[in-house]
Amino acid sequence: MRPLLPDLLIRYEPSIERSMMTAPFAGHEISRRSLLQFGAAAGFLLGTGALTGCAGPTGLPGADTLTLALNRSLVSLDNKLNQFDAAVTVQRAVRQALTAIGPEIKPVPVLADRFEMTGDTQWTVRLREGIRYSDGSPVTIEDVSTALKMYRQVQGSFVAGFFPEFPTVVPVDGRTFTLESEKPIPILDALMSMILITPAAQNKPEELQTGVGTGPYVVKKFNRGAGTYSLQRNPNYWGEPAAIENVEVRFLPEESSRVIALRSGEVDVIDTITPDSREQLAGLPGVVLKEASSLRLNQIFYNFRKPAGHPLSDVRVRQALSHAVNGEALVKDVMVDSVTQAEGVTPSSLFGYTRTGSYVYNPAKAKQMLKEAGVTDLKLKIIWETGEFPSDTSVMEALVEMFGDIGVAAELQQFEPGGNILAWRQGKAGDWDLLGNGFPSPTGLAITMLQGMYAGTAEKEKTRDTYQGYVVPSVTAKITAASSEVDPVRREKLLAEAQQAVWDTWPCAWAFVPKSVLAHTDRVQGLTLSANNSYPLADVRLES
Amino acid sequence: MSTTNTLPPAALRPSAVTPRDIARSAAVRRERAAKLKLWIGAACTLLVVLPIALAQVLPLADANAQDLSQRRLAPLVAGHLFGTDQLGRDLLSRVLHGGQVSLTIGLLAVLVSGAIGIILGAAAGFYGKWIDTIVSRLLEAQMSLPLLMMLLLVVALFGPSIPVITFVIAIAQWPEVARLTRSLVLVEREKPYVAAARVLGLHRINILLRHVIPNVFKQASLVVLLLLAQAVLLESALSFLGAGPQRPFATWGRIISDGQDYITTSWWMVTLPGLFIVLLVIGVNLLGDGLRDRSRRKKKEA
Repeated sequence: MRPLLPDLLIRYEPSIERSMMTAPFAGHEISRRSLLQFGAAAGFLLGTGALTGCAGPTGLPGADTLTLALNRSLVSLDNKLNQFDAAVTVQRAVRQALTAIGPEIKPVPVLADRFEMTGDTQWTVRLREGIRYSDGSPVTIEDVSTALKMYRQVQGSFVAGFFPEFPTVVPVDGRTFTLESEKPIPILDALMSMILITPAAQNKPEELQTGVGTGPYVVKKFNRGAGTYSLQRNPNYWGEPAAIENVEVRFLPEESSRVIALRSGEVDVIDTITPDSREQLAGLPGVVLKEASSLRLNQIFYNFRKPAGHPLSDVRVRQALSHAVNGEALVKDVMVDSVTQAEGVTPSSLFGYTRTGSYVYNPAKAKQMLKEAGVTDLKLKIIWETGEFPSDTSVMEALVEMFGDIGVAAELQQFEPGGNILAWRQGKAGDWDLLGNGFPSPTGLAITMLQGMYAGTAEKEKTRDTYQGYVVPSVTAKITAASSEVDPVRREKLLAEAQQAVWDTWPCAWAFVPKSVLAHTDRVQGLTLSANNSYPLADVRLES
Repeated sequence: MSTTNTLPPAALRPSAVTPRDIARSAAVRRERAAKLKLWIGAACTLLVVLPIALAQVLPLADANAQDLSQRRLAPLVAGHLFGTDQLGRDLLSRVLHGGQVSLTIGLLAVLVSGAIGIILGAAAGFYGKWIDTIVSRLLEAQMSLPLLMMLLLVVALFGPSIPVITFVIAIAQWPEVARLTRSLVLVEREKPYVAAARVLGLHRINILLRHVIPNVFKQASLVVLLLLAQAVLLESALSFLGAGPQRPFATWGRIISDGQDYITTSWWMVTLPGLFIVLLVIGVNLLGDGLRDRSRRKKKEA
């Protein structure tokens, strides 16, 4: 049987078909190709039109809404486990403490109107009259007592390390109470600025996700995973009400995204910006830069959990490696003069700071010292978390080159935020030699930083609660003596001795003090950046 | 009885088809386009691949040598053709050395994924039954997963090293090759030469390896070539997202990622490595397309 198709093909007459098909359009031939080309062109025009529409700024903040973009995710409005710089502004807008560290880096009363040392081991405190939580309930002495209990009980507490001991609350009358301790705590007024007060019934030994506070704002809604919080003015605030009705907090980890968001007006404030972003934003119309000294020390810290025979256990090797670091070049070229080299073990902005020495770049001396210590073929592993300090990756890559110049091979391991660097730092996940890390003194006092970093004990090391395994009993004894000394002159002397003792152990290969830098749009007024890299949200205004 | 040829000679045959029509016909256009694609593709690919391959021989500064006093120099300043980066390293050298890492990962990944894809796809197409069911379901399952998420998860679990990233990209890409090989083998296995080989008593594995796979290999290898561009893009995406090989290894994604902080002040740190990626991806894709179209034409002629 013949197939049908070849038969049809043989009888195919193109001329007939063409005349039939084109007859109605004589003189106006539109081929399929032209039609498709026309369709494609129309589609392209429509598409680009839509894209142009999308390219304009969207989601601009409203006239009565302030939008903040943080570089780290604000996982909670409580500080029991965590308190990075940018979080302080938002945390203190919702919850407050008895005191706060004021612009002069001194404790100022907030919920208390009297906070006095009335004995060697006793402080007398009086709650401010008429202070209420956002739900209208009054602040009681029991709330303070419960808060201290919860901060003590929480596992992995951020605050506990700063307290030589937690004081006990003894009520005197309805508003007055004493804080009693075994040993003198002469800096208790500063330490209590870290204890946020929450109604006793709602406080738990964990980071609180919800609940009320005494601050000028209340949380309207939040998404912990995305790090977004919507705050609304607290109508029952005990003080002067906040000037702005709404505050939106966003998490934008990418520095360039934050800079672009600020330039486009999508956000109003970005904090903790890098030197390079500062350079980009400087002089731009509509953008204001604010700078303040910092209570933070960023260090390249040695791992003190090395066995006795390891080169890093030898103080000469630690000193030698620090001579390999060209700190001046890092400050001038990488950090664009936005930081200063440390000249001690605490930042110079802290009360009680003592200059103990300086980091000197001398690669020849570094090589000589390593040779004398009998160290050859040393390999280092440097770890850090992205965003730990501005320009962190550039600093780390520069360090690899500098150590390479003295014949020390270094490898880098970078952890993304949310990774398991904590387990590494505690020596549970892997071995490392140097850690890029920042440490703040939330009280503005040098003793707080010394207590948190260098007062490690063998007992604390059992649970890996020391700072990178730093346990030097003679140093710990000096810090403890200084922290319980009531006489200010004697305390200052003890503090200086403790800092020199720490410096002599060469705990860091290099350290520097950053500046707190913030940028905001010019519609934001009344923002005063303090040294702890935060600002009171209630004072901020928006220009209409 | 005599017969006469009633058809006029070809040259004299009246036809409405003019040489101009022939020149504008789809077949000729396709042929021309294939040739053009082949040339442009080869030129773009060579423009990128040749300098990368010769990076060690070219008079370039060390990719990791820093000069902090020469940070962010613009292109063509102080002997730096592409300028310098945020640590004063020569950007051209970093792009070329980074290209070596990115291209090596890409090549290894496509070789592994090509091998896995061709073996599994051919087995599934040729044997059918349970092998086909297992392979088909496996590749459908994998293709239903979001690719980049899966890659990031594996890199987060096993750490970002070059072997892990290569393996991860290879695993991500095998379904493409396997699916195509399976369909090609399904067609091939019904052809008479396979039946003839069977009748001659050849073992099935022999038929598959000696006769079927060589017949589908050319088309399958073209897909593998196209996947190279995708593999380089994936590697760059992983590095950009911070899941690439650890520093100070330069990779294209990382150079761009580092450069984005300086996009408004030092455009070259993002643009020039970006251009390299664009050139390579366009070049490889055009080359693959050109080769595919060209092979079709040859088949027709044969």
